[in-house]
Amino acid sequence: MSTVKTTPGTTSSVSQALAKDRLGVPHVLFFILAGVAPLTVAAGVIPAAYSTTGLTGIPAAFIAVAIILGLFVVGYVAMTRYITNSGAFYAFISRGIGRVVGVAAALIALLSYSFLQVGLYGAFGPAAASEASAHLGVNAPWWVWALVAWGIITILGLLRVDITGWILGILLTAEILVIIAETVSGLLHPAGGHLSFATLSPADLTSAGVGTFGVLSVVAVLGFVGFEQAPVLAEEARRAHRTIPLSTYFALGMIAIVYAAASWAMAANVGTDHVVKAATQEGPGLLFGLGGNTLSQTAQFLFMTSLFAAALAFHNVVWRYMYALGRENVLPAALGRTGGNNIPKLASLAQSATGLFVILLYAVGGWSPFIYLFFWLGTTGGFGILVLIALTAAAIIAFFARNQNEENAWRRWIAPALSFVFLVAIVVLATTHYGILLNAPPGSAASWMLPSSYVLVAVVGVAWGLILKARRPQVYAAIGLGAHAATGQLTPSPAAEDTQA
Amino acid sequence: MPELSGTGRLADDLYLIAHHDVSGKPFLQPRALGLGLAGALLAELVIAGRIRIGPDAVTVTNATPPDEELARTVLGQILGEAQRHPVQTWLQFLGRTATAEVAERLYRSGYLEHVSQRLPWRGDRWVPVNSDSAFAAFVRVRSVLDASRSASASGAILAGLAQACGLGSRLSVAAPSEGRRRSIEEAVRELGPDLLALIAQTRAAVDSALLSQRV
Repeated sequence: MSTVKTTPGTTSSVSQALAKDRLGVPHVLFFILAGVAPLTVAAGVIPAAYSTTGLTGIPAAFIAVAIILGLFVVGYVAMTRYITNSGAFYAFISRGIGRVVGVAAALIALLSYSFLQVGLYGAFGPAAASEASAHLGVNAPWWVWALVAWGIITILGLLRVDITGWILGILLTAEILVIIAETVSGLLHPAGGHLSFATLSPADLTSAGVGTFGVLSVVAVLGFVGFEQAPVLAEEARRAHRTIPLSTYFALGMIAIVYAAASWAMAANVGTDHVVKAATQEGPGLLFGLGGNTLSQTAQFLFMTSLFAAALAFHNVVWRYMYALGRENVLPAALGRTGGNNIPKLASLAQSATGLFVILLYAVGGWSPFIYLFFWLGTTGGFGILVLIALTAAAIIAFFARNQNEENAWRRWIAPALSFVFLVAIVVLATTHYGILLNAPPGSAASWMLPSSYVLVAVVGVAWGLILKARRPQVYAAIGLGAHAATGQLTPSPAAEDTQA
Repeated sequence: MPELSGTGRLADDLYLIAHHDVSGKPFLQPRALGLGLAGALLAELVIAGRIRIGPDAVTVTNATPPDEELARTVLGQILGEAQRHPVQTWLQFLGRTATAEVAERLYRSGYLEHVSQRLPWRGDRWVPVNSDSAFAAFVRVRSVLDASRSASASGAILAGLAQACGLGSRLSVAAPSEGRRRSIEEAVRELGPDLLALIAQTRAAVDSALLSQRV
């Protein structure tokens, strides 16, 4: 009888073959930065923050938040190795704290990313409108351009066409180069000929009272949103236990330096005492004006593409969340279904519907989009992310306390606990001073309605989690598993790690 | 010459369902298709009694070479590994080449033909020899979806794997227009633990790829 031809070898040819497909640090880093959209923050968030909050400690805030997030990441990436569905905060919270809280966290995450996505239209609209009237002589209101972007994103979402890697790479590189160029130019021409470091000093974090630290941190977190996505690629990464942490720390460092420098340059260039007024007058022009005319023109164009790319990236984040939750039956199962070509059409359309509703709401309401849509909803989204990060820090400590692991004390509880303390402080301070963040009088409708939306969603989440526990225990057991809801697999299979000896 | 009875092989049936019966264009993203076909190839070996799908690893229970060449190759690959791998690893590994290999097998059986593209920069394509190529596959699926008929095991596995890699909407072509529909989940539940695990893991692999946007 003939024997089966075998493929002998001392090392596993299967492991070797799979290792070739795996992603290294550059690809993972790229994946993170693609969602970060540098110019959106540098020309959008920072000037809006200066003008709306009236605070000057923004550069210092980026550095402070980078350190706090760096502490958080220590435990975060360690926990990645023990659970599937990495890259979703609610999965960590479900396994660490409990599934009922996990459902609440899932809904908070969905709301946060939705705020972030929809808010971007509020910056894209005006940016495209000014570009169009300056270069094409076309004059149309902001919401027309917002709807155009919305339309394109809806179609791209339904066709599952993402901006191809190399286009995104070119745009990203160009954005970073432009920001650096503007920053250097701005620093070379400081107000009064003397470079001031005032805005970088920690004292500026609490210049107008302790509460301002909370407000500034919410703004700064907006710059870092996207850093939490690295573990999404954990199953695809080469030597994930090194690649994921390295990429994440690298991203944190890069983001912190670029934004701190850019916001510092803006303040130094016009003078720390004048930056708030200048930001109110010029908006994104505060960054563009740091350099010469060509640089400014390039920056304005790239600002527009950055906003569009970010809106598409967050659209993808939202439908992915809806899909994962639909798969688990935490949200209606229809959201977890794919149509032809593996496209989750319903999830994509659901997010598009939200976007359309909000754009039309603001168009009809006549509120100024840059501050009231982009900044208000954007910072509220950032606030939600902060709440999630704080909850996750607690979940990390709880998880390592209850589950067998090989991590040292620093990763198990010291770093997470330090970050937790800071994060809770920030959340409390921000909540009690939300009016400063929005530049709305304290006690005004917006200053309590926006943060309360999370409370509402959390209550619904807890209630739904309890209902699931009682009525559908199988579904309850699968909460947080995402793609592995069907297999019930709690921990990544050994193949997820590179098994090279 | 393709017969209406089909090749009787699971991966072949899945391939034919997953492609348009005239143009040969796939209804799935490449990676999802590869994972589904990898699952089907493993299922063929389970049905032939050669491997078992355990919770931690795929193990060979009978090393006798199967009659069919592609099955022999896959079994050889599993035997050739000094260490045992979980089914997820095998799905990822086999998924890289499964589409091409199953297409070759269908070509040798006379169900697909090679069509060179008019535009020179596009690769060549496999196209069904005639529009009845997928007939047998859909008959098997229909026996599952129609509650008035008894579901065949091969139909249940086929339907289960097809749904797992994202062909749910395509399968509804075979659903009865009147009469009670049987859900695929119901039919799949009757299968043994190995096949159940295989279908679940295939679904998880496709979902993971979707969520990490590598589909």
